[in-house]
Amino acid sequence: MSDRVQKLVTYQDLELMIRDAEDPARMKQEASLGFEVGGLEALKKRLSDLEIEISKKDIRHYRRVGRKYERAVVLVIDKICHGCFQSLPTSRTRQVSDEGPLPTCENCGRILLWL
Amino acid sequence: MSADKFLSYFSGERFINELSATSKDEVLIEMSKILSDDEDIRDPELLLDMIRNRESLGSTGLGKGIAVPHGRSSAARQTKVVFARSSKGIEFDAMDGELCRLFFLIVAPYEDRKQEYLPLLGKIVETVNQETIREKLLEVGDFDQFQEIVREALSE
Repeated sequence: MSDRVQKLVTYQDLELMIRDAEDPARMKQEASLGFEVGGLEALKKRLSDLEIEISKKDIRHYRRVGRKYERAVVLVIDKICHGCFQSLPTSRTRQVSDEGPLPTCENCGRILLWL
Repeated sequence: MSADKFLSYFSGERFINELSATSKDEVLIEMSKILSDDEDIRDPELLLDMIRNRESLGSTGLGKGIAVPHGRSSAARQTKVVFARSSKGIEFDAMDGELCRLFFLIVAPYEDRKQEYLPLLGKIVETVNQETIREKLLEVGDFDQFQEIVREALSE
């Protein structure tokens, strides 16, 4: 898998985890089960550390897509984009170069991660 | 949640009878790696990143020898649970300071359309809060026995 997409997936998972951690109801649920949930600042620090490792261009792309959708990176399963559930052309390649464009769905523009 | 439903998240392929890990991070690596060939998971490395990040929010070592590392990942299509045991016990930053011997790694997709992640998490915690079940799980030999113990626990 492309290291670029991998980092964006980890970044997205962290952002969503922070969003959950900022939801008092959700954290109350976890805490009631006995889990520790006090490390929100540590999560934010991890996010900012990771952002430094991602190119500015990729972050800009991610944010642009993220403004439209809850998740900018989605799975491709059986040639279907699991953001918009449209079929991808068979010619769509999962290869990502170090410099070229990120793989995106031609229909919705989300960044693609092949299962 | 019925026993059948509960057990549908587990499998013999995701059952580690004896961990070779000796540290918290090694536990997370060994349990994530078991998902390498899982058709519903994109890449165990991504899960590992997510699980490590979740641990920085707070330890999932619950005490009483139990740890339930868990989280939702963009790289997962289905909710999966890995069960593992360590007879010797492993330091996992548990709240009571005790070593952890029973581990349940839960990975769920972000969509969670069936709303199953938190109920499953709750059910696992509820189940292992029973002392008799913990004692039996510490002696479990294989996945068939594991299923028997869980069925018994959920039927009570």
